Amino acid sequence: MPHVMISSKKCTGCHMCELGCSAWHEGGFQPSRARLFADVNPTTAVIKGHSCLQTGCAKCQEACPNDAIVAREITVTPSGTFASKEKVGDSVTGIVLVVDEEKCNNCGDCYDVCPYGVIHEHPERKVAFKCDLCDGDPQCIAFCQNQYVLAVDLKVDKADRALTAKA
Amino acid sequence: MDFYKGHVLKIDMSTGTAEVEPLNMEWARLYVGGKGLMLRYLWDLTEPGMDPWSPENPLIVAPGPFAGTNVSTCSRVVLGGKSPANGTILDSYCGGSFGSVLKFAGYDLIIVQGCAAELTAVLIKDDKVSFVPAAKYAGMLTADIEAALRADFDPHMTSLSIGPAGEHKLPWACVSNDQYHKAGRGGTGALMGSKNLKAIAVAGTGRVTVGDARAFLEDIERIDTDYILTDSNYWVHEEGTPVLVDVTDGAGCQPTRNYSSGTFKGAGNINSEAFKKIRVKKRACYQCTLACRNFHRINDIEGEGPEYETIALCGSNVGVDDIAALMQFNHLCDEYGLDTISTGNVLGLAMDMTEKGIHDFGLHFGDIEAYLKIPEQLALRTGVGAELAMGSRALAAKYGHPELGMQVKGLEAPGYDPRGSFGMSIAYATSDRGACHMRSFPIGVEIVEGTMPADTLDESKAEFNVTFQNHYAFKFCGVWCDFWAIDYEQMGMLMKHLWKREVTEEEMTQVGERVWNLGRLFNLREGYSKADDVIPEAWLEKPFSDGVSAGKIIGTARFNEVLGQYYALRGWDEDGVPTEAKLTELGIDVRL
Ligand code: SF4
Ligand code: SF4
Ligand code: SF4
Repeated sequence: MPHVMISSKKCTGCHMCELGCSAWHEGGFQPSRARLFADVNPTTAVIKGHSCLQTGCAKCQEACPNDAIVAREITVTPSGTFASKEKVGDSVTGIVLVVDEEKCNNCGDCYDVCPYGVIHEHPERKVAFKCDLCDGDPQCIAFCQNQYVLAVDLKVDKADRALTAKA
Repeated sequence: MDFYKGHVLKIDMSTGTAEVEPLNMEWARLYVGGKGLMLRYLWDLTEPGMDPWSPENPLIVAPGPFAGTNVSTCSRVVLGGKSPANGTILDSYCGGSFGSVLKFAGYDLIIVQGCAAELTAVLIKDDKVSFVPAAKYAGMLTADIEAALRADFDPHMTSLSIGPAGEHKLPWACVSNDQYHKAGRGGTGALMGSKNLKAIAVAGTGRVTVGDARAFLEDIERIDTDYILTDSNYWVHEEGTPVLVDVTDGAGCQPTRNYSSGTFKGAGNINSEAFKKIRVKKRACYQCTLACRNFHRINDIEGEGPEYETIALCGSNVGVDDIAALMQFNHLCDEYGLDTISTGNVLGLAMDMTEKGIHDFGLHFGDIEAYLKIPEQLALRTGVGAELAMGSRALAAKYGHPELGMQVKGLEAPGYDPRGSFGMSIAYATSDRGACHMRSFPIGVEIVEGTMPADTLDESKAEFNVTFQNHYAFKFCGVWCDFWAIDYEQMGMLMKHLWKREVTEEEMTQVGERVWNLGRLFNLREGYSKADDVIPEAWLEKPFSDGVSAGKIIGTARFNEVLGQYYALRGWDEDGVPTEAKLTELGIDVRL
């Protein structure tokens, strides 16, 4: 199932992915509200990428007492290039986990279980917010665009732990 | 408001207080941001003849309007004031992430004045500003102070900090951000040290708006593909600045053994090929897609750099071609907080004087053992460092050989000897902060592209320097990085988002010219004059005996003639003073 992932080895620490992600969703550049992030140690150059594995993880969905994390079908067609493009192809259809803001009551159970720290309370809307694959054009891929770096990749795994019935 | 946050943070170190003032939008329109805006504030905040070491001398930190967006390379900030190194304008640039994060915290500019009674760190978390005693950070090296601030206050904080060199007010102490990014030249670190300011740390959670964000993203994606990630910019990523070693060495303008030659036998040991062998990773500043930076590892030393200037000044200029020693020296300068250009100059000068029998500093070209002790000695002013800390101009004068100090207006020279690139002579002489390659860079046309001859000096070179200086003065208001060879057309595409209308090349050139003239006025106000628009005699009259530039000579008379042409092209009088007509034309509202 499609998800984006940062290669910690390739990542240069430019944070363009966070900038693109936040501007697309929030109407302005605000990395504190990005849905993925690169944790960079400036001195040692050690970088750890954090992003949502979608149905390959789905812990938020399991934890949610209100069934607010719902599975939706999505076709991902990145406008930018990415490392595994040859393998994955131009377009991938699968499931993305999104927050149903009507059902979410900001109880915070998912914030505690996310192993990557990429689902949080939205400071204004007071509901959970997470990666939604940008309606199929991931901005993090679009802006990790140095062709010699291409650290944000589109991955497709077979695991599908999403409780699709809850969709 | 889009792009700008509209806020200036004014910090008074003497009282330990901070207040927020609205950004002067008229100045933002005339000077855009970065260098220009900093200079306009500097003019206003200072009295003529102010002692640069006095508490009144402001440290101004200014990102450009595009900081905090995804316009590549614009995370950079300028650190400004009146230079403690030489009393000219001080505008020193630093990559990293400070500029972007400052915008997220909500500010377009920081102005620090006054002096704290004890060593202090200033913490900015969005709209909260606090002053914390920094006694426990005293003497800390760059990596340690940054890590300590993150651990003690906020894991996301990024800081401008000084090392021991800044605390000891070494005139060329630098300021660090994210460990490897330095506001190197002109003594920004000394300025912080003189205020008892160890660090300014910032964390910001706010937003920078640009109007229609999705339309903006689409446009930037196109600009990045069409104009940044191009084949002609590829060297930035593939090589980075070490590629210049072969360029300058091949052209006979690589400073070697205190500028006594333009060619270095050991160049092949410290060029880009050599550094690629020890490269571990490519890295980037915040919001930069070019990723020029090289992370190296050799033996137990690892880190970013050295960049070309360090390789030239702390390598060939001091006779060192041992890559491991050079890595270590660079690392020590980074950690102690020293500008490597000035360090390599002073060291080369001391070695030269020792070998010429003028004075025995116990330093010899290529003597690695003594060399590796220098950064600490300079920073702490111990041993031979106590004397070398006076800088090239004073040191050379003290021992009766001013001609051996390679400096202009008291600022030590960077890694390009004008004898291999004649246009650099005018670039250095007219630079607003002393010997500097970042105001105009004839090396590009005279050596890299070969579209102008390297061994002639005439009016076309005067004109080239004027055009380049205006271009770069504007570029440094937007605070684009040098490594994006951005032209007016591309800057116009971005300015259109800022000013919400078409912006012409003429308008942008005029901003650049306005900034350049304001800088000139500041220097004149502070006592500089035509008599200071000079360069070391050796560059004009003493030809090299080896390399491709051997035997070539610029000549003082020729130089003076072209300098006069430069003044005329600038609309300045014979003494290099901007005329009333010029100032009016440019809309400059201050006068001498
Ligand atoms: S855009 Fe790419 S290189 Fe930059 S921080 Fe994100 S993953 Fe790393
Ligand atoms: S795919 Fe979109 S929402 Fe998900 S992390 Fe990338 S930019 Fe953010
Ligand atoms: S090109 Fe290099 S120095 Fe310039 S902004 Fe990018 S990473 Fe920083």
